[in-house]
Amino acid sequence: MGVDLVSLPQMMIARPIVAGAVTGAILGDVATGIKLGVMFELLQYDILPVGAVRYPEYGPATIAAVATAHAATGVLGLGLGALVGLVTALLGGVSINVLRRLNSGIVHAASATLESGDPRALMRLHVGGVLRDAIRAAIVTAFGLFLAWLARPLLAGPLSARDAIVLATAAVAAALAAGAAGTLRLVGKGPNLGWFAAGLGGGLLVAVWLR
Amino acid sequence: MAAVKGAGLGRALLRLFAVQGSYNYERMLGLGVGVAEEPLLRDLKDGQYRPAVARGARFFNAHPYLIGLAVGAAARAEHDGTPPDQIERLREALCGPLGSLGDRLVWAGWLPFLSGLTLVAVALGAGLGAVAAFLIIYNIGHVTLRWWALRAGWTHGARVSTALHHPALHKATALLGPAMAFAVGVALPVAARFLAAPFPRWGQLGAVVTAGVAFLLLRWRGDRLSGLRVALGLAAVALVVGWIWP
Repeated sequence: MGVDLVSLPQMMIARPIVAGAVTGAILGDVATGIKLGVMFELLQYDILPVGAVRYPEYGPATIAAVATAHAATGVLGLGLGALVGLVTALLGGVSINVLRRLNSGIVHAASATLESGDPRALMRLHVGGVLRDAIRAAIVTAFGLFLAWLARPLLAGPLSARDAIVLATAAVAAALAAGAAGTLRLVGKGPNLGWFAAGLGGGLLVAVWLR
Repeated sequence: MAAVKGAGLGRALLRLFAVQGSYNYERMLGLGVGVAEEPLLRDLKDGQYRPAVARGARFFNAHPYLIGLAVGAAARAEHDGTPPDQIERLREALCGPLGSLGDRLVWAGWLPFLSGLTLVAVALGAGLGAVAAFLIIYNIGHVTLRWWALRAGWTHGARVSTALHHPALHKATALLGPAMAFAVGVALPVAARFLAAPFPRWGQLGAVVTAGVAFLLLRWRGDRLSGLRVALGLAAVALVVGWIWP
């Protein structure tokens, strides 16, 4: 799933809402998977992957978050899951940058071969990049799952229900803020701002109607 | 060239799905572009093939879904006997427009539009069906765009700018901007309600106030702060609050 973000095939399998729902379904807790998927999807709005911009990796992060939170009742697992996911996302972002630097070194060293137009060498270098990204993604996901394994016992003891709610409140607030700020950057100050305001109004009406 | 058109275009399309596989800061997507272009160059004469492959793998950066346009155009220009320096200039000239158009069309349009609709749908209880619909509908647009770009590039060659002025592209960009803004606008409060519904009243109030403060921080110092940093900071504050709260 991790290679989908950049390398192959960019079909949004690693999008948090998808990763969360699929992980939840595998663990038999679709509700938690979707909840954390929604939270990390909002955080994802903060990212516009243009040029060589650096960004956190929220796909494996969502998997780790759901692995932490699943089977915990109510909001107990939500905050702790989000915390594990956020740390995983940070590591994922750093690992992408490290991989790109590593790729740069390898490509630089192979400049003469590439300029000779050898198609086999070109293919070998390219496939090597894909494989390195697959290994990177596997390491990030494994790290996230390890964090989840470390964190899960906290749900049964040291973390009280109130602490868990405070943590979940902070995570939800950050996701909403990131989602709104990221969307406003996309929308800009032009005519789309009116559409965004109209959407917010409609969404508020729906939220009130659902109470 | 007819043989190239059939199997070659198919192979190039498949390879385009991995165009970012060797992303690096030296040539950016250049290697992926070279790998995708290579099947379209195989029937070039001896002495033309290798230099064309080498040119194809040089620096290139654009939106990954629209890179097929450059791949097809450069390969066609190689077949048409266009001078190498003109092909280099064509590639350079395509980076900016393909990046800008793809970002507006996909990253700031199609993707957040469908994502916003999906968030609304799952918050209203649609569950896995909504997520599956997101994947299917998104990828119908995604694959169509990749295929169109490759074919258009191959058809127009060095005159590929004609394809960039296709009315459907401009209409889609004009429609997706407002649609995305409206869909995500609806999604934000509905998702907020969905996520905070199980919280006690003080938690809901705390989430709204904290979200407001965090939003202002992100707007004020967006150059230094990111959503991830704010989220990690708030989580740290929450842990401290939980620890000192009697």
